Amino acid sequence: MYGWIWRHLPGNAWVKALISVVLVLAVVYVLFQYVFPWAEPLLPFNDVTVDGQ
Amino acid sequence: MARARNRIAGIISVFGELLITAGLILGLFVVYSLWWTNVLADRAADKEGDQVRDHWAAPGPGALDTKDGIGFLHVPAFGDGEVLVKKGTDPKTLNNGVAGYYTEPVKSALPQDEQGNFTLAAHRDGHGAKFHNIHKLKAGDPIVFETKDTWYVYKVYETLPETTKFNVDVLQPVPKESGRTKPGRYITLTTCTPMYTSDYRYIVWGELERTEKVDAARTPPAELR
Repeated sequence: MYGWIWRHLPGNAWVKALISVVLVLAVVYVLFQYVFPWAEPLLPFNDVTVDGQ
Repeated sequence: MARARNRIAGIISVFGELLITAGLILGLFVVYSLWWTNVLADRAADKEGDQVRDHWAAPGPGALDTKDGIGFLHVPAFGDGEVLVKKGTDPKTLNNGVAGYYTEPVKSALPQDEQGNFTLAAHRDGHGAKFHNIHKLKAGDPIVFETKDTWYVYKVYETLPETTKFNVDVLQPVPKESGRTKPGRYITLTTCTPMYTSDYRYIVWGELERTEKVDAARTPPAELR
């Protein structure tokens, strides 16, 4: 999978490495900004009130 | 034959990479929960806290504007720092690094009320983790609540290290489970326990000891010096 992505990135090894870093940062951004905030309330780690629910 | 074997090897390697990816994502989620949400929440709480203090400093009415936050909680046992207190305990409020006072299932009293129970909730981990050190509070420790013109000095008299989330009676105006039977001016802190999960709730009860007028220099009461 990662090998396939690497082979399909354009440019020489340095350019590929640079694009890879950008891609990784983009994925981390999407996770922190959208995916984790969505997932967090669904997980039982952070309920602090007594509410009987 | 060789082709089929290549295919199998390919599938296995993709499967392995997916597992590694899943592991990395879970690791990132821990970073997010325990670090990044604190960064965001502390930033939001500092900003809101500054707004409240500006509001207090401005002349004119508005001693208790519940939209902004009603005051600051100071707990020496938690270490330095103050916790902004706002209305409501919905996740949206609490995720901004504040403590919220209950509006349901049992409505909280406010500190200035003649009697009742001032009931608060805040996060144990992540989102500011304002009640992270709740287990350090012992009987006799002070909890100080600061409003525009008054310091309310409470003393902890009872803790309940583990109860269920269904135990809403801990919020009653007279919290019987704490051993008190007469109306008084109580404070109740609730958060989740054990740390990093929310299987149970941790409860701390305090009782108002005295109040002090805020002077011009906002000199804190002896407990905070």
